[in-house]
Amino acid sequence: MKSEEFATAMMNEHYTLRQLNLMVRDAIEMHLPDEYWVEAELSECRENSGHCYMELIEKDERSNTPVARASAKCWRQTWLMVKPYFERTTGQPLRVGMKVLLKVYAQFHEAYGFSWIVSDIDPTYTLGDMARKRQEIIRQLKEEGVFDLQRELRIPTFAKRIAVISAQNAAGYGDFCRQLEENEYGFRFDVTLFPAIMQGEQVEQSVIAALNKIYELQSNHTSQFSPLSSHFDCVVIIRGGGATADLSGFDTLALAENVAQFPLPVITGIGHDRDESILDMISNTKVKTPTAAAALLIDNLLHVLEQLDDASQRISHAVNQRISNQKTKIVTMTSLIPTLALRVVGDQRHRIEMMENRLPIAIERRLTNQKHLLESLNIKLQGFDPQLLLSRGYSITLKDGKAVRDPQQLKPGDEIETRVEKGTIRSVVKN
Amino acid sequence: MNEEIKYEEALTQLETIVRKMEQNEYDIDELAAQLKTAQRLIKFCKDKLTKTEEELQKIQAEANS
Repeated sequence: MKSEEFATAMMNEHYTLRQLNLMVRDAIEMHLPDEYWVEAELSECRENSGHCYMELIEKDERSNTPVARASAKCWRQTWLMVKPYFERTTGQPLRVGMKVLLKVYAQFHEAYGFSWIVSDIDPTYTLGDMARKRQEIIRQLKEEGVFDLQRELRIPTFAKRIAVISAQNAAGYGDFCRQLEENEYGFRFDVTLFPAIMQGEQVEQSVIAALNKIYELQSNHTSQFSPLSSHFDCVVIIRGGGATADLSGFDTLALAENVAQFPLPVITGIGHDRDESILDMISNTKVKTPTAAAALLIDNLLHVLEQLDDASQRISHAVNQRISNQKTKIVTMTSLIPTLALRVVGDQRHRIEMMENRLPIAIERRLTNQKHLLESLNIKLQGFDPQLLLSRGYSITLKDGKAVRDPQQLKPGDEIETRVEKGTIRSVVKN
Repeated sequence: MNEEIKYEEALTQLETIVRKMEQNEYDIDELAAQLKTAQRLIKFCKDKLTKTEEELQKIQAEANS
């Protein structure tokens, strides 16, 4: 400040704003001449003409209300060196919400006001803070019991209806679709894109919105038709592109909770060289790139195809075996049946012949029996022949042709006949 | 004899006659008539068997050709 200006000001006891600001500037330059390492959170951050403009904030840990606030600037020359180092180390650019450790010195410009000028950034502080936050999220997910939920799901056997969450025109999505379409086995996939912002601040909100849309379609479909049928088989979250891209949006609790509890298996292919993102940790399957995600889906169907081929081979083998067994049986039986049938005929013939033989025997025996019977009757009859008695000297007396058995039958004068062996004597009864 | 008669029926009739013959269940007067019937049945059965045998052999020859 020029001395006459100051003198005029003193005399009038009124200051122009510039005069007063210059006093502040002097005071600051006098009392805060050093550089300081300061911990702060970024509440704003933007680049303009190669400079980086930030708003720093400190929040009360419990109430989350700001207790300190200040602007900070990083001039182009510093920013050119600090920025790549920071991004290389942390894997992401400076962004709102980030905790940073800045080396600053104070500057008060009478026209532009107070600002901390950044001369260096320590990315390891941010890295540590990010790691701590990640650990905190992981701990919370485990505590909620959702950390392993996705891994309990299985990518369906015939997974071909794929819901994709990706940026609309992303190269990664193109790669994914091309890979699926050009698979060498001719599998047809049914891909539906649910566009989302895959970089920066809006990732969380945008991906959750896409998940909700998928869930809505899925549950409508499920209630409308059979509970077994569904709209999609699985969800694929992919992004492809720049290595330095900001993946921090994939490391938030809300997104992790949504993915973890999603009823369909989620495959992530969000591509990164650094640590696994939390999304990768909780997803059903993680791969590095969209192309790898497509390859995974193709492999899944290929595995099914192989199983089907195997099953069909085994079935046809078993069927052929059965048929050939039956053929052999039929051939054996064909040669056996006539023989068996002829044997039956032979048996029958034998049976008939046996009976044929038995008949004359039975008849012969019957007739012989009858002859014997007649003969024995004849002999018996012979025993009763009176001539036999007469020849032994007996005689029979007859009156009127009837045998006389009692003398009372006769009276004197009756004529009787007496038969003896050699003739008949006629006589008259005297008394 | 009725041509419609089946082999099994003929066989049963024949067996009945033979059994009755052997157990003297016929009168002497019936014997001759029953013997004639039996012989007709025997001829019928034998013819049937011969015919069947020929048919079987023919089928077998066809199957093997």
